[in-house]
Amino acid sequence: MHDLEVRDIRKTFTLSRKQRKIEKTDSKRKVAVRGLSFFVNRGEIYGLLGPNGAGKTTALRSVATLINPDRGDISIDGKSVLSHSLAARRKIAFLTTELKLDDFFTPNYLFDYFSTLHDVDETMREARKKTLFSKFGIDRFAEVKVGDLSSGMKQKTSLAISLVHDPDFVIFDEPTNGLDVLTARTVTDYLWELRNEGKAIILSTHILSVVEKLCDRVGIILDGTIKREGTLSEVRGDADLEDVFFSLLEESVHDA
Amino acid sequence: MHKWWVIFKKEIFRVVTDRRLVLTVFVLPGLAIFLVYFMIGTVIGGQITSEETHEPTLYTEHMPAAIEERLEERVDYTLYEGDLERSELESMIEEETIDAGLIFEEDFLSHVESGAVPSVEVLYNPAATHSSNAFNHVNGALSAYHESIIIDRLDAPEDYHVYDLSTRELFDERAVTAQGFAMIMPMLIIIFLFVGVMNIGPDAIAGEKERGTMATLLVTPTRRRNIALGKVFSLVLLSFMSALSSFIGLLLSLPRLMQFDDSLPELSIYRFVDFLAIFVVIVSTVFFIVALVSVLSAFAKSVKEATTWIMPFYFIALIIGILNSFGASATQSFLPHLAPIYGPINILAGILTFEYSVLNLAAVLLSTLLYTGVFIAALNMMFNSEKVMFSK
Repeated sequence: MHDLEVRDIRKTFTLSRKQRKIEKTDSKRKVAVRGLSFFVNRGEIYGLLGPNGAGKTTALRSVATLINPDRGDISIDGKSVLSHSLAARRKIAFLTTELKLDDFFTPNYLFDYFSTLHDVDETMREARKKTLFSKFGIDRFAEVKVGDLSSGMKQKTSLAISLVHDPDFVIFDEPTNGLDVLTARTVTDYLWELRNEGKAIILSTHILSVVEKLCDRVGIILDGTIKREGTLSEVRGDADLEDVFFSLLEESVHDA
Repeated sequence: MHKWWVIFKKEIFRVVTDRRLVLTVFVLPGLAIFLVYFMIGTVIGGQITSEETHEPTLYTEHMPAAIEERLEERVDYTLYEGDLERSELESMIEEETIDAGLIFEEDFLSHVESGAVPSVEVLYNPAATHSSNAFNHVNGALSAYHESIIIDRLDAPEDYHVYDLSTRELFDERAVTAQGFAMIMPMLIIIFLFVGVMNIGPDAIAGEKERGTMATLLVTPTRRRNIALGKVFSLVLLSFMSALSSFIGLLLSLPRLMQFDDSLPELSIYRFVDFLAIFVVIVSTVFFIVALVSVLSAFAKSVKEATTWIMPFYFIALIIGILNSFGASATQSFLPHLAPIYGPINILAGILTFEYSVLNLAAVLLSTLLYTGVFIAALNMMFNSEKVMFSK
């Protein structure tokens, strides 16, 4: 049994007329993930590598309990997140650029607010705040409203707030998207630090260098399924990761 | 600490610490209502004063002294000096330079005394208020003169005396005041409540979805029911305060609007229990409107879409309120009290006119709370629905 396991999940969405127009399809349904399985253990970073629309976000949202798969199961420490979603959320941090913070509030207020919602007691809250604010330099702008912060500052604040409850499982959807080089470096360094602290990390990305630098294991996801999976050396073999990725992508397009 | 309370406090904090929102939610509604109604009252008051103090200008030809005396008894007027051609007189009356013209036949009095029938012509402009009022005075004076001539011509003047007429105005001042309140208050209360909720409701739910902050909330270990309750309770309090601001603005402008000699209307006609009944009806109605607006906002993808969904319900409430204002007394039938919006408006009118039963009041409260409960349950389901929460 693995610490976090995704077993054969399938998720289908009904497309609105607007979405059908954007996707240039007449089909009213879209299979986002089909029979997707992977796992991650504590002290490990698992990278979900795939192009836009491959099903990465759907997979991660399912793990984060924001959406329910139509079939299959996801378990954390042996318990299904589908039937124990509240317990799962206590152990999970989910960060994506789509999850925003209210512009009106300060990082300090939001940290306290979300720590209460995560059932974090005051002593732990203050300790976590001190550590995370100092690590990401949030002390400098802790009392500035989120709406007045730069995108890098906002991302750092989101990161700190998502980790307020010291979760064991950290799920990041495109964690460095839209960040400047310095902030992206801070984030990737911290992911590595979390891994060394014994956290299980799943991150989705389409940036090959992030995968090569951070991930212990990687799954290449195309058209809703994992096409190849294993340690970085297992996946790429003797070839370059980029070449492997594009050859799988070509095969996938050819099969379709 | 209950999670709904945490969300409730955050929602309240969000509004009361934002100067822009404090201004738009709490200050502007009351201020706008006060200014609008105060100005309307001032304009109406000005018109009444103008009509009361206006001294009509009359043009006369050959007016007998007997009629002049009777006219002077009725109104202070100014005689137009100078002679006018007929066409000039007509134009000046149309232009409202002269309020009325009285053209008596030459030697009018001698003709009357001889038994002939002389002519008198009255010219006035019925489209002008001052001219119409002048005509009424002139007509009254002519009638009085006519009556005196008839009496003189009778062999036995006492024959003209057919009956003694005395009139007494019998009315309960309390009932008149109550009727006035019942006509405007239920409609205004519902409008103020709806507008109060519409000020903040769509942003608190549809706005959070639109901005992506709702998803951040949904990944915390908080039951969706608690999110729904925290949102609804905070909206109830904020909307109530917003409506209260409008109500204070209305109360302060009422003396001027109703021409009450700058004193507040007589509210002491109501007992404590009436105020209590009004209060519980208002609170239950706020809950209902908030729950309705919350469901529509959760269903919408953006604040703009939410407002579009809410607007038809606002108009329905508005129409029911207006119909109540023009209707007769509140209905006492049981079933209509179960209708949403109509029930609260009807029972408010009933309370204000002292015509309501405890059974009907209970029907309104229980049905309104039942509908609210259904909406909150629906809201909870919507928060649990990924289709609703993440639809694009």
